[in-house]
Amino acid sequence: MSNTSSASLTNAIEIRNLDFYYGAFQGLKDVNLDIAENKVTAFIGPSGCGKSTLLRTLNRMYSLYPGQRAEGEIKLYGNNILDKRQDLNLLRAQVGMVFQKPTPFPMSIYDNIAFGIRLYENLSRSDMDDRVEWALTKGAIWNEVKDKLHVSGLSLSGGQQQRLCIARSVAVKPKVILLDEPTSALDPISTAKVEELVSELKQDYTVAIVTHNMQQAARVSDFTAYMYLGNLIEFGVTDQIFLKPERKETEDYITGRFG
Amino acid sequence: MPDKHISSQFDSELDHVSSRLMEMGGLVESQIQQALYALLLFVEDVADQVIETENRVNAMEVEIDRELSSIIAKRQPTAKDLRLLIAISKATANLERAGDEANKIARMVKSMISTGIYKSLPASELRLTTEMASGLIRKSLDAFARLDTSTALTILKEDDLIDKQFDGFVRKLITYMMEDPRTISPSLDLLFVAKALERIGDHAKNIAELIIYIVKGEDVRHTSLEQIESKLQ
Repeated sequence: MSNTSSASLTNAIEIRNLDFYYGAFQGLKDVNLDIAENKVTAFIGPSGCGKSTLLRTLNRMYSLYPGQRAEGEIKLYGNNILDKRQDLNLLRAQVGMVFQKPTPFPMSIYDNIAFGIRLYENLSRSDMDDRVEWALTKGAIWNEVKDKLHVSGLSLSGGQQQRLCIARSVAVKPKVILLDEPTSALDPISTAKVEELVSELKQDYTVAIVTHNMQQAARVSDFTAYMYLGNLIEFGVTDQIFLKPERKETEDYITGRFG
Repeated sequence: MPDKHISSQFDSELDHVSSRLMEMGGLVESQIQQALYALLLFVEDVADQVIETENRVNAMEVEIDRELSSIIAKRQPTAKDLRLLIAISKATANLERAGDEANKIARMVKSMISTGIYKSLPASELRLTTEMASGLIRKSLDAFARLDTSTALTILKEDDLIDKQFDGFVRKLITYMMEDPRTISPSLDLLFVAKALERIGDHAKNIAELIIYIVKGEDVRHTSLEQIESKLQ
């Protein structure tokens, strides 16, 4: 979709020899992948292929669950986040996440944004107002909510709630934003708005997105990773993956021949 | 396409539009054959038939394009499927124009018959070129149906031969025109015929390049034969 010459790209995240286990079951097998800074990287593949698992390792979301563990290395700007000494709250401020179903907090629109900021920063009233406006603008929802900042976030439509959640993750100024099927519960218009937002977000952030909608991956991403049964099958420039993939497995999947 | 999609409806749509292309190719091939017959025997009725077939070819081109648009809108094809549909669209355009060239030949034949001097001209020397051009169109369609890149490569080579024969024929016509200025007008007609045959060969070549595009994903237009050969290895 855009100029994605592989030259002169900085890697935000470098994944090396990553194995992931759900108890005895191995969900990811020796995954090696670079996620380029200020680019959108999409993970595609059939259900159960490990794409969401991979996304969840990037901010150690799995650490919430006992029995799940990752082995190998995930370097965020050179710092191995799988290290036991990694501060998880700090990590999740650096690597924000938005889920399939919108998850606004049961509080006002304003507080939805301010909540996360208060955990990390102590801002004056007016600085906080500015930051909330900034985040809502970045989330492409400011114009729709500026006159009702103190009504509940739950009163918004699904598409608006999702953009609110994106604004909330942007508010703490992360380095990377993870999107786990962010539009699968949204109608086509809201989907188009979120997709538009994703291409704006990459000006300032690195984005990784999991999607079941292959056309969406083709539209919004610069790089695409195809996964199957826990293996990374093919990774490359999105245009290349959708026009002329190297591997037959990838071609079968994206052309709908997967049996 | 060898392996099947999850949606069998998608498969049958692709099959259908591919067979329509073959059907259209068959029509164009018969147009070229008729034009050849008209040219070698100077029969006016046959020339008229070529012109009639033209309408059917044009209608098929429009129909195939409509089918292609509908498949693209409904299925959002990617990779090999997308390349196939783009190639079919371009192949129909090439076939339609090859048909136009056959039509042009038929009109020239009629014009030569009306002047009456055609008998003194070396029209029969175009027989070989005509057969090659018509053969190339058939070969390109066969190779398209089988997605056969090695035949595609031989088509590219044979088109070079047609181009050489064209150059030779032009030189010959010039000697006729110099000997007897009365032959200038029908010679020019014949020159247009030869040019039309050369163009038909070019259209077959374009179709052959599309086959390589579908199979290898490489755009080999404006690429030398040697480079194409190395890509196919």
